[in-house]
Amino acid sequence: MITNEKINSFIEKIPPASKVLQVTLALLDSGELVKAAQIAKEDLALSSYLKSLVNKPIYGFKNQVDDVSQIFGILGVAKSQQAVYNYMMSLLSPKKWSLFALNQSSFHDLQDTLAINWQKILAHLQITDKEIQSAITLLPASIIVAEALFHEKKEDVALLRSASEIDLNTILLRLCQRDLFDICEMIAKKWEMHAHIGAIVQAASGSKPAEDANIDTLGKWMHLLLFFTLSQPKFIQAQLNDFIDFHIEYVDAIYEDFAQLMEIQ
Amino acid sequence: MRAVVKNGIGIFTPQGFLDGNSANSLLTLEDVEATTKINAEMVLVSLKKVVFFNRNGLDAFVKLFTKVRNKQHITVGFCDYDYKKFTAINKFYKNDLNFSLFKSQEIAALFSASYKNKNKNVLLFSQDKSQSAAMAIELHDNGHNPVIAQTQEEFKEKSKNRESYDVIIEDTYLGQMGQSVATRVTGNAIIYTVSSFLDAEIGNTFNISYHNNSLNVGFRLFIFDAYKVVSMNVHALNFFSKLASSGAEYNATICFVGMTFEKIPVSFKETLEDSGIMFFEQMDDILQNKELLKDLGGGSASSVANKRVINKEIVTELPNFIEATVNTIEMMTNSQAIKNAAKVDQITISGKLEDKIASSIGFYGDIDGMVILVFPFDIAKKASELLIGEATEDTELVLDTLAELVNIVGGKIKSLLFEAEISVNITLPRTYDNVNSLLDVVGDKKGVQVDLSFDNDKFLFFLTR
Repeated sequence: MITNEKINSFIEKIPPASKVLQVTLALLDSGELVKAAQIAKEDLALSSYLKSLVNKPIYGFKNQVDDVSQIFGILGVAKSQQAVYNYMMSLLSPKKWSLFALNQSSFHDLQDTLAINWQKILAHLQITDKEIQSAITLLPASIIVAEALFHEKKEDVALLRSASEIDLNTILLRLCQRDLFDICEMIAKKWEMHAHIGAIVQAASGSKPAEDANIDTLGKWMHLLLFFTLSQPKFIQAQLNDFIDFHIEYVDAIYEDFAQLMEIQ
Repeated sequence: MRAVVKNGIGIFTPQGFLDGNSANSLLTLEDVEATTKINAEMVLVSLKKVVFFNRNGLDAFVKLFTKVRNKQHITVGFCDYDYKKFTAINKFYKNDLNFSLFKSQEIAALFSASYKNKNKNVLLFSQDKSQSAAMAIELHDNGHNPVIAQTQEEFKEKSKNRESYDVIIEDTYLGQMGQSVATRVTGNAIIYTVSSFLDAEIGNTFNISYHNNSLNVGFRLFIFDAYKVVSMNVHALNFFSKLASSGAEYNATICFVGMTFEKIPVSFKETLEDSGIMFFEQMDDILQNKELLKDLGGGSASSVANKRVINKEIVTELPNFIEATVNTIEMMTNSQAIKNAAKVDQITISGKLEDKIASSIGFYGDIDGMVILVFPFDIAKKASELLIGEATEDTELVLDTLAELVNIVGGKIKSLLFEAEISVNITLPRTYDNVNSLLDVVGDKKGVQVDLSFDNDKFLFFLTR
């Protein structure tokens, strides 16, 4: 159904980050917001993405913000970097979704919802590391990879899942000995994202706890955040609620904290 | 959301957080109805992957449950929860708990008449004595050996002796149980379970189209497990008489097992016997008596008078049947399946018969027939690994998985034929732990045999009626 050749071909087709994106990220990394904005403006699609992003109600700005320098200034280094990574990820998303009932707008909504709540979590955990802030951007890659690999096998997947309680991640692992999150990590490497990002997202799969206790804790928060988000009606309707397994026991230790932070009653 | 159906139980497994909004999106009436159409006699929502739920979230499911139970007469409820969740549900529905709660799927299966594993030793405890009694009766009726612990202390004490019991039941509640006529397949016989008072409602709860189609695909022995029947009125009498008459043209036999006539007029029995219905005290009186089974048509299809032959309509659709099989095997093994040879004749199984196992599935509707797959055991194991997740020597597990595999083949056939504007439904899958019992059923039937292989491992496809 899915072979390693197919996975390799998918990875090969992922374009490397463009020069503009690489320089923008490097400048953001060194805190050069103004210079980063000057470079980012050269990529019109990136500029447009950033404008539409910060003017969404979820970001809560009263006035329209149109200038990239202004946007980076408002967001700060970590969130700007996160926004650029989210843009890169959205480039990878398909024009037309078929396995999941998503579109460009709902995928961006998913990215934004995850990003905003991840900021909330990191503030609660008093973590300011900008690489860790950006880690959340890689998580939706698992959905993109699942769509890319399984969309032609939609009916087969449905039949298989009507006979057995098996998620897409497990199907892929059993068929190819690599799962969706291994592929996410390969994307992170290809885009030269910080090694921590791949490690946190691997832990966030819920099936591969990290040896590093800090990364493992972040993995737990991210795993729970993912399912908190995928429990929203719009994402349930997009068939995202059960594309991977929720490991309830993995998040047990942090659940009370999470529930309090997200004001779940 | 789709359910996984096993042992007659359709299980929906939502994940994450359940509130009024999310629950409504997770499960619709159409989802549940699609599940009941494939012969689920219980529909349960598993809470094992739900980290949070509130009353509104459960209410959305409970409203659905009520609608479905009223319409389809099936058992509905929740399963797979811990003590904390069990307590919360009881608190939410303190005086209004009219659905069932099963601590695990294993426990739920014990209450399903379609569960093929009988004779389990079960320890059970409930604070509510009427619940303990109700559970014990249901378990006993389903062929298990329940032991009721009278007190919490006794339960704790007995639970320590874990190896004495196959299953231990606690934190479980039987709400209104389903009243649909449960169906299971044993050998070449179909067993229906009926209970309590049989009246005009039997016409609604008995799946007549499933019965007719079972006749069409060659089943000849139908046993009504009637141990739990208390009484019957004239409407039910008419129903069974008509059922027997309509089966007569197929040489089908209908038997009642375990029915007592304490509260049923003896004249009813005579009327039913005149219609050709037979009565037995114990199920084993039929199932363990090979000669009788053969005479009644449940031992071998060779006793069937009206042999049906493969016809042009089915042969025309052969490519769809092969495609469904090949695609499924390729999906399950990630290897390319190759068609080696095809012939129209009686089934020919080469090599050692004892090393092979088989599974079959019937289809009925615009066309009808049966697909059979015969595998060497090692190849069946390989084909089952995707679903099992690891290599296993457990024959029963491989057979169960093979049933799932052939069920997937059946599903694919259904969808490929639908594209060709041919509407069919599929029966429950059957498995054969040795091919001799398969040959008893189809050995003298003509059909299309296709020898297939993947990774040089050979298996056989046979299409017949």
